[in-house]
Amino acid sequence: MPELRRDPIIGRWVIIAVERARRPKGMRISPSAAGEKECPFCEGKEGMTPQEIFAIRREGTAANTRGWQVRVVPSRTPFLKIEGEITHRGKGLYDVINGVGAHEVIVETPQHIENIADLDEVQIAKGITCWIHRFLDLARDERFKYVQIFKNYGSPSGEATTGHARSQLIATPITPKRIKEELRGAKRYFDYHERCVFCDIIRQETETDKRVVAEADGFIALAPYASRFPFETWILPKEHGCDFSHMSVENRLYLGRMIKKIIGKLKNGLDDPPYSFVLHTAPFRHPKAKAGYWKTIEDDYHWHLEIIPRLTHTAGFEWGTGFYICPIAPEEAARYLREVEGP
Amino acid sequence: MTQLRRDPIVGRWIIMEDESPWAPKDFAVQPHTYEETTQCPFCPGNERMTPPEITAVRPDKSAANTPGWRVRVVPNKFPALQIEGRLDRHGEGLYDRTNGIGADEVIIETPDHAKDLPDLTYDEVRLVLETYAQRSADLQKDKRFKYMMLFRNYGFAAGASLNHHHAQLIALPMIPKNVIEELAGAAVYFGYRGRCIFCDILRQEEEESERILEKNDAFIAFCPYVSRFPFEIWIVPREHKDFFCKSSPQELEALAHILKDTLGRMKRTLNDPAYNFIIHTSPNDAREHPEYHWHIEIMPRISRIAGLEWGTGLYVVPTPPEVAARYLKETKTT
Repeated sequence: MPELRRDPIIGRWVIIAVERARRPKGMRISPSAAGEKECPFCEGKEGMTPQEIFAIRREGTAANTRGWQVRVVPSRTPFLKIEGEITHRGKGLYDVINGVGAHEVIVETPQHIENIADLDEVQIAKGITCWIHRFLDLARDERFKYVQIFKNYGSPSGEATTGHARSQLIATPITPKRIKEELRGAKRYFDYHERCVFCDIIRQETETDKRVVAEADGFIALAPYASRFPFETWILPKEHGCDFSHMSVENRLYLGRMIKKIIGKLKNGLDDPPYSFVLHTAPFRHPKAKAGYWKTIEDDYHWHLEIIPRLTHTAGFEWGTGFYICPIAPEEAARYLREVEGP
Repeated sequence: MTQLRRDPIVGRWIIMEDESPWAPKDFAVQPHTYEETTQCPFCPGNERMTPPEITAVRPDKSAANTPGWRVRVVPNKFPALQIEGRLDRHGEGLYDRTNGIGADEVIIETPDHAKDLPDLTYDEVRLVLETYAQRSADLQKDKRFKYMMLFRNYGFAAGASLNHHHAQLIALPMIPKNVIEELAGAAVYFGYRGRCIFCDILRQEEEESERILEKNDAFIAFCPYVSRFPFEIWIVPREHKDFFCKSSPQELEALAHILKDTLGRMKRTLNDPAYNFIIHTSPNDAREHPEYHWHIEIMPRISRIAGLEWGTGLYVVPTPPEVAARYLKETKTT
């Protein structure tokens, strides 16, 4: 019997169509895209990208030359541009803002390695340090409300031209809708229970132990109860915190280790599928912002990373309803991933 | 430069490329046919391969579950929801769940295996639309069902699983989240201004006219100002009406014309892309919905939806609707 499950945070309903469950191999849509001939993200090709914004590099090496370990550059095809004032205007009943924002690429390794699972945890942690560095820098810009850090790997998930491991960052002058919904959901739960909903989820999942994919120092990985996609996995810090940029140096290493483990399991268990991951963290809390807008956010929100393997095509039904049909129950997905060898 | 546009109904923001918009040829259209290894369960002569039919248009008065039909409705052999049983809600720690009660019907729109909706005659499309409306109205009588979702997936990238084109009608035991948001947004507008936001959108689109593709006495087809997808198209009835299934025979006739023409135009412009369309209508909650206005949303699946869109609900649209409308209008309908 299929069942419907509600995400306790934003109220999204999901159909878990257990009886339609297919073998993981049967769900693949197409192989990952092959790399371009000349990769602009490889060491020695620094001239092919716009000027670097930030890099972790060997002492004594100059910007835009060899010697870096992780490198942040503006996107060659930015969705949003960094210069200019933000202007709001109306057009009849519509609202428009000019496209001011930041769009940066975090190159996670100087070598041409495609999957983050093939980097070592120390290298992944350096990428995380770049995220934090860029996040804190953009937080000082009062034009921006939110920074979205995300990664697309493999073709169907939207990877642009080459396969070189990298993540992206977008700073926006608005707080995006899904983020707002999640924040409101967490606040609503907190207002009623005076507890963080994510902490409660971690507690319940640890107790029932049906959907835990991995647990290690600092972090836990879960197949969420109301998964929208087959093998959807969330990585949450065990210690409560609303803002990922406050993460300790030690935790960056632990997060690197957990990312490597989970993505490695997806790679080994699901035949190197395309995937996306998205970092969810608290929006900027500028002192100028409306008083009390996110008053209890420090207590009610819990940053985390959502990983979505792209194994199915989302069809008309999902678009129209915001209601997902997930062909495998998260308990099954977690059991399968637990048994798969990590990297 | 890009610009950000806000959807006035649900408040969603869109990033729109307005300096160097993508043309139809810039989108890679994936092939979307399946290798056919078995017989098609939707073709005439194979009626036994589906569950027994719920209804069919049979001008020749042929017997149920035999050839001779023009449109045929059957239960989904692999239903996402099941029709029998009582709705049973319960908790599991901090989570909520219910059993999957609902209906999942397949509307086979033509006996011709290779034809998509715009390949049919106006008259055949009208028969299809009448069947949509009739099935929606019938399921609406069951008070367990709170929402009738009628949609169509064309092509692999749009989630279709069979080559023989068809629509699906799913009756849900709750109002889905997107619909709640859309209704809530429309209700706020209605409460404040005393007018329907969709009627106001139609008025503004007609005045500005640059995004309009087709018009007739009863419907307008246009690329919405805040499109989420490049070449997204809405078809909206001129007369304010909350439910699709309340459409008059004259309206369904007019809809058959505009739907066939618009889909044909879209397919020719974009080189036969995968697409979805969805009928947005009011929920079945024993009320009238003066704030809501039913309509059809058509979404060509030519852009890729990835981490940013999933994570934030922020869509990046590489072709503004004004430009998309221009390309679509330049294309001949037949």
